[in-house]
Amino acid sequence: MKRFSKLTIPYIAWAALMLLLPMLLIAVYSFTDQGNSIIPFTFTLDNYVKFFTDPDFLLILWRSILIALKTTVLCLLLGYPIAYFIARCEEKTQNLLILCITFPMWINMLVRTYAWIGLLSEGGLVQRVLSLLGLADGELLYTEGAVLLGMVYNFLPFMILQIQTSLSKMDYALLDASADLGASPRQTFRLVTLPLSLPGVVNGITLVFLPAVSSFFIPKMLGGGQYFLIGNMIENQFITVGEWNFGSAIAIIMAVIMMCLMMLVRRIEARNEGGKGERP
Amino acid sequence: MRQKKRPVGKFMMAASICFFYLPILYIVIFSFNESKSLTNFTGFSLRWYLHMLESHGMMSALYTTFSVAILATLISTVVGTLAAIGISSSRKIIRDLMEQVNNLPIMNPEIVTAIGLMLLFITFQVERGYTTMLLAHIAFCIPYVMLSVTPKIRTLDPNLADAAMDLGASPFQALTKVVVPQIMPGIISGALIAFTMSIDDFIISYFVTGQGVKNISILVYTMSKRVNPSINALSTLIILIITLVMVLVNVLPLIAKKRERRDELTPRRMVVPAAATLCAVVAIVALLSSRQTDTGLPYAGQTLHIYNWGEYTGENILSDFEEETGATVVMENFDSNEQMYIKVANGESYDILVPSDYMIQRLIEEGFLQKLDDSLLDCWDKLDENCLDLSYDPGNEYSVPYFWGTVGIVYDTTVVDYEDLEAEGFNIFLDEKYKGDIYLYDSERDSFMMALKALGYSMNTEDEDEIQEAYEWLVQCVQTMEPEIVTDEIIDNMAQGRKALGLVYSGDAAYIMAENEDMGFYLPESGTNLWTDAMVIPANAQNVELAHVFINYVCDYDGAYDNSSYVGYTSPNAEVMADLSGEGGDYEGINAYLPRTDNENDEVFVYNENTKKTLANLWSKVKIEASNAN
Repeated sequence: MKRFSKLTIPYIAWAALMLLLPMLLIAVYSFTDQGNSIIPFTFTLDNYVKFFTDPDFLLILWRSILIALKTTVLCLLLGYPIAYFIARCEEKTQNLLILCITFPMWINMLVRTYAWIGLLSEGGLVQRVLSLLGLADGELLYTEGAVLLGMVYNFLPFMILQIQTSLSKMDYALLDASADLGASPRQTFRLVTLPLSLPGVVNGITLVFLPAVSSFFIPKMLGGGQYFLIGNMIENQFITVGEWNFGSAIAIIMAVIMMCLMMLVRRIEARNEGGKGERP
Repeated sequence: MRQKKRPVGKFMMAASICFFYLPILYIVIFSFNESKSLTNFTGFSLRWYLHMLESHGMMSALYTTFSVAILATLISTVVGTLAAIGISSSRKIIRDLMEQVNNLPIMNPEIVTAIGLMLLFITFQVERGYTTMLLAHIAFCIPYVMLSVTPKIRTLDPNLADAAMDLGASPFQALTKVVVPQIMPGIISGALIAFTMSIDDFIISYFVTGQGVKNISILVYTMSKRVNPSINALSTLIILIITLVMVLVNVLPLIAKKRERRDELTPRRMVVPAAATLCAVVAIVALLSSRQTDTGLPYAGQTLHIYNWGEYTGENILSDFEEETGATVVMENFDSNEQMYIKVANGESYDILVPSDYMIQRLIEEGFLQKLDDSLLDCWDKLDENCLDLSYDPGNEYSVPYFWGTVGIVYDTTVVDYEDLEAEGFNIFLDEKYKGDIYLYDSERDSFMMALKALGYSMNTEDEDEIQEAYEWLVQCVQTMEPEIVTDEIIDNMAQGRKALGLVYSGDAAYIMAENEDMGFYLPESGTNLWTDAMVIPANAQNVELAHVFINYVCDYDGAYDNSSYVGYTSPNAEVMADLSGEGGDYEGINAYLPRTDNENDEVFVYNENTKKTLANLWSKVKIEASNAN
């Protein structure tokens, strides 16, 4: 197969141009203050200083991370039982249920989010049902709840699919073995099922958390203009304000934070993997 | 496996399916709604489908989405597979390095990839449009293809290809006849992932597109502010297409399997019908979106690129213009002058722009516009003199008015005391009697105008203390009044009487009042903004002559009437203005339609680079304060 290594060269060139260079450009822009030109290059940290010295910006960052965390936790709490249910069905049923869950994902995300505007707005179906049940009287649209709902709606399938994949790979004889050895169902779940599904959980968390932090159309469509997240800030800098240097700096800050968080999650997973064998 | 009853699991499963399908069901049902309402189904009608089929923008968005997805899938699958084979047979250091690079678009937030690609195209001065969108899609799809192909290659015996070549196969044959068939399942699933990613993409496309090229996501994002049920019709069409593809992919192999009673399910058989359906869909959409050009017309085959505000043209004006001249009109929309400015300043070429007064002044000062050729224009004596020869373009050397008006307060006459309005003017937005019942408009210009006028200053002030005071006024408003800061959603929301007070443009007010008779429009005595949006021709326009023809067409009675009666903004054409506001006109008795021209506190915006930057920054801080006040 060595012969085929020549196939790599064009792709390396392409990847350098289309994947690596863009990232470098963001970094370069974030360290200059020449507006939209980077030549001549003058190094400055102003953009970063501006971000970190302003409590309002930091609050936005914090809120974006917080709502992404809420989304991830909700997706995990809802997604795990559903994935577990699917994984324990017969194979034919499993395939059908997976199809049911993937199908909406093929329909444009914005279109589906747009539909929630009609459902949540005053006099809309959800609002009417909730007020009939006496559960909600206030507005639903343009609240944090609406944004959270939009995020869970869009990202829950990712979580379900990831967990289901790792659960369905599991050997169910292990569960019987565990029960035969005297473990309660709860112990079996904690000591056998959960550790075995952990890779799926970690992948699911990544797939939900990443887009949730940086999302800007869900907050804009369902949260209104007074609901501002870090993604909206970046969009704003690039599309309406036109301060690309500052916008690039925000993007870099966000990317670095994301990377750190993801490494943390991976490390937790790795530790659990390592510890698995030692358990009696 | 033991099957238990598991009621909780069943319930959650059913609930989640309902949750996932509720919006889809909603879209399908409301696409057949007779009225514009998003919440009440008033009767069955196909009007939104007709609207969709007639809309050039929607059909071309559909075409762009599917053609980009198919091309990006094909190219990225082939390239990704070859690259994965190549990399798997390379040295470890290259393998590791490439894995890191490929992880960039997968592990980074999408918006980071998006702005990276945008900066790349801008730095190398590649004109953004269809090609850049396709390139970007290929760029982020390849890593996903490789991610799904590489594990399959790892399971291959590395000597397989060598064995084939020893037996006399050429490297190409060894590749296509031996290696590729072995890893086919990985290639197929890679292609499926690529297709899904591409067809659903919004963020990356949004940042790398240009020249009015839109996919469905961008279309929905830019149109969603005003109620437009054609989006539901378009979505239903997409749902139909996707259902068709999914059924073919899933059912056909089952039928084939039954017929042939063969256990082995070759994935290739699933892909052929799916690909065939998709290609057929694209062909049909292409047919629908391409228009026959009549070669006998004066401008047949020519294209006019317009960059205009969203929802700012009459229902038929563009198609009428196309029919009359034979030219094709490509219209791209913006939400704010600033958004338009950034594109123009970065060298995107349009034939006509429709910016506001102060932005026209800026574009003139910075040399982005060309003077109009008076010999080609026949519109001047049709226009109302109150909107001509204003300070932003004295003598109208560069611009011809498109719409004009004021900014004022729309209020619910059943809730708001008229005396409060008279006594407080814009300060009514600080009156806690109306807390939680107000809309602000998401524009630094208009918000600061309101604050400055409320404080009794000129809206063109350069005095830092006055600006600071206005900033504090706005912060007080967002902190104590719980306003919702909206853009064009305000139009439909006020028309449905959702809030008592809102800051709106007079034209939107006219539309709101025509829809809901409980609404009134008030202009504070302390003055307001007298604005004009006007047509200008950029210096780098490609079809200057056709641009002049279009300007004449818009100013002419028919064009102006269509525009103004449909959109609700005041026409600069004096005759149209009189007819629409006069007896039997669409806007009879609606005070918002006729701009106030006799208050000396009213001003026209003046462009000042420093103030503009200060206001932009302060306004995003106001929004952040609002966001943090929640």
